[in-house]
Amino acid sequence: MIASSTKPGDALIELVDLEKIYRVGTELVHALRGVSVSIRENEYVAIMGPSGSGKSTMMNILGCLDVPTAGKYMLRGRDVSTLSQSRLARIRGRQIGFVFQTFELLPRTTALKNVELPLMYAQVSRKKQRAMTALQRVGLEDRATHRPNQLSGGQKQRVAIARALAQTPDIILADEPTGNLDSKTGEEIMAIFDSLHSEGQTIIIVTHEEEIAARCRRVIRLHDGRIATDNIVSRPKPATQYATVTAQ
Amino acid sequence: MATATSIQNASTAGSGMQARNLMRRIVGLPWRAVNWFGGSAERHWKNIAAAIIQVCANKSRSILTTLGIIIAVTSTITVVSFVQGFGSYVTDMLRGFGTNMVFVLPSSPGGMQGRMLGRVVMDIEDIKAVGSQCDKVRRISPMMFSNVTVEYGHEKVERVELQGATEQFQTIRNFYVDEGRFYGPIDVDNGAYVCALGREVLKELGADESIVGDYVYLDEHRFKVLGLLEKKGAVFGDSQDRLVLIPHSTGIKMFPFLSRFLPFVLEVTSEEDVEEATLQLTQVLRARHNIQPGQPNDFRILRQDELLRDFEQVQMVATSVLTGIVGISLIVGGVGIMNIMLVSVTERTREIGLRKSIGGRRRDILAQFLTEAVVLSTLGGIVGTVLGYSICYVASLHPSMVEVTVPVWVVAVALGFSAGVGVIFGIIPAFKAAILHPIDALRHE
Repeated sequence: MIASSTKPGDALIELVDLEKIYRVGTELVHALRGVSVSIRENEYVAIMGPSGSGKSTMMNILGCLDVPTAGKYMLRGRDVSTLSQSRLARIRGRQIGFVFQTFELLPRTTALKNVELPLMYAQVSRKKQRAMTALQRVGLEDRATHRPNQLSGGQKQRVAIARALAQTPDIILADEPTGNLDSKTGEEIMAIFDSLHSEGQTIIIVTHEEEIAARCRRVIRLHDGRIATDNIVSRPKPATQYATVTAQ
Repeated sequence: MATATSIQNASTAGSGMQARNLMRRIVGLPWRAVNWFGGSAERHWKNIAAAIIQVCANKSRSILTTLGIIIAVTSTITVVSFVQGFGSYVTDMLRGFGTNMVFVLPSSPGGMQGRMLGRVVMDIEDIKAVGSQCDKVRRISPMMFSNVTVEYGHEKVERVELQGATEQFQTIRNFYVDEGRFYGPIDVDNGAYVCALGREVLKELGADESIVGDYVYLDEHRFKVLGLLEKKGAVFGDSQDRLVLIPHSTGIKMFPFLSRFLPFVLEVTSEEDVEEATLQLTQVLRARHNIQPGQPNDFRILRQDELLRDFEQVQMVATSVLTGIVGISLIVGGVGIMNIMLVSVTERTREIGLRKSIGGRRRDILAQFLTEAVVLSTLGGIVGTVLGYSICYVASLHPSMVEVTVPVWVVAVALGFSAGVGVIFGIIPAFKAAILHPIDALRHE
């Protein structure tokens, strides 16, 4: 039974006993050892953990860039852990919007064209209009014809967010979105995520910065491939007053 | 019972569905192929536009990369055009003689059989017999060749080609007098000392048209100049106008030993009858020379149409061999493109990762890089075509050069091949890009 849409409040993402084993040379690396998480629509989740905890692996699987070795990944009620490469690409293009630490904009290509890129792969109509709308949402409509080298770091990341939004994805997956920005610009980017969340967007941020995690409504901490803590933050405190919760 | 039937129904329905699916797959295959190339035309245009941007972004690199293709295409076009140019010049010249012309010359076959035939003889009686007995022969004339010294006043020109023929010569060879007149049948019958001069001889004698009606000395014999032959031009520097024509009867009087060794030229009624005429004259000559069945001919028949065919064959072989040799450089050019595309894929690994993460499928990435290789090689082909054209144009400007025109087909072939080279040598780098794992590609430093 494949449900193409779910009611708000139902699980958008359902991870069941997810395992991932890599082969690095002759060694097997057990990156994820049975992760089960359920994320509903319009959640604002931070995934944290020390390096080697498996958060990147989890992010890759959530983003359909990789498939689990064992376990199930249900996205909108559809098992995506066994799909072919080209179906995964389709899901990446239509249901997931990536935001990277290093922006990954195409050089020599205008902001607008960068935002249009996922629309081109999805072969949808009215690309320019949709891309423009996405740029407006991040407040960069007046920079549409600028190339990345004419934009500041914060602006670049906003273009990247617009690109992620262009296809109106189910999830925005941000990997250290403020990692390459100064704190003030990082704050601007987080403000955009906050407002997107308030508009109903599901957002998952992978980060190691407590200040970033503090703005989310839910913090999942990974340790050695397992979920250490999974806290729902009902009323997030201002970042400066947030008490550091150690993963125990 | 009911369950059994329903199971059976289900199974037949299942196999039917399978067969239908299979059919749909097979029938749909060409459509899918078309779809894959043409269905997303807009994306192809995007790819081409992106490729051109990419090529322009690395201008010097692109130029150096395509240099191999440029040189290959330039030389292909130049070489083929030159061969074709010379070829059509010679062909036109051969056609100018008339394709229904046959040349017969006495010739002893080699080896034992040749010696058994004894002395080879071909005299004026043979020629008369062929002329009167072969109904496919319209005109016939003996052809007597020698070299003479021409003297006019104080001027003297040595080793001029002397040809002796009947008055029919003009029509058979398509070689007419355009000043004065040619000699007539009475001159031939009488063995009159009259001649027609070629333009080149005239030039070397330092004389002008006023020579007509005057007298020249050919090897001490006094000849009246009746006319001047039209200008024919030169074949590979060998002038056709350095020639004196006299009646063959007069020529035999000057060189009596030639009377038993007379080649002749004839004009067949039409091009289709050349075969028939050849058979007829072979029969007549064999009978007259008492050649037994099984013995070889004691003459050789040169047919203009065969000559033309042989030449065209040689020209075709020359064209294909030269094109083949030059084509090798196209492969070298292709390797250059492959090299740079591999570098490009490595350089742009992160871009590939990004494209994959935002929905680019393997085939999209493949198409993108393949397009880039093809655009690169096709641009090289276009530049090469322009250069080839210019070289041919400049070469044609030289006065003693035959006219070199670039055949359209060679341009089409050159462009087609350079695009093909792009596909062949672009496929490996494009494939390499397409199968990159998105995570590895995104992490690439």
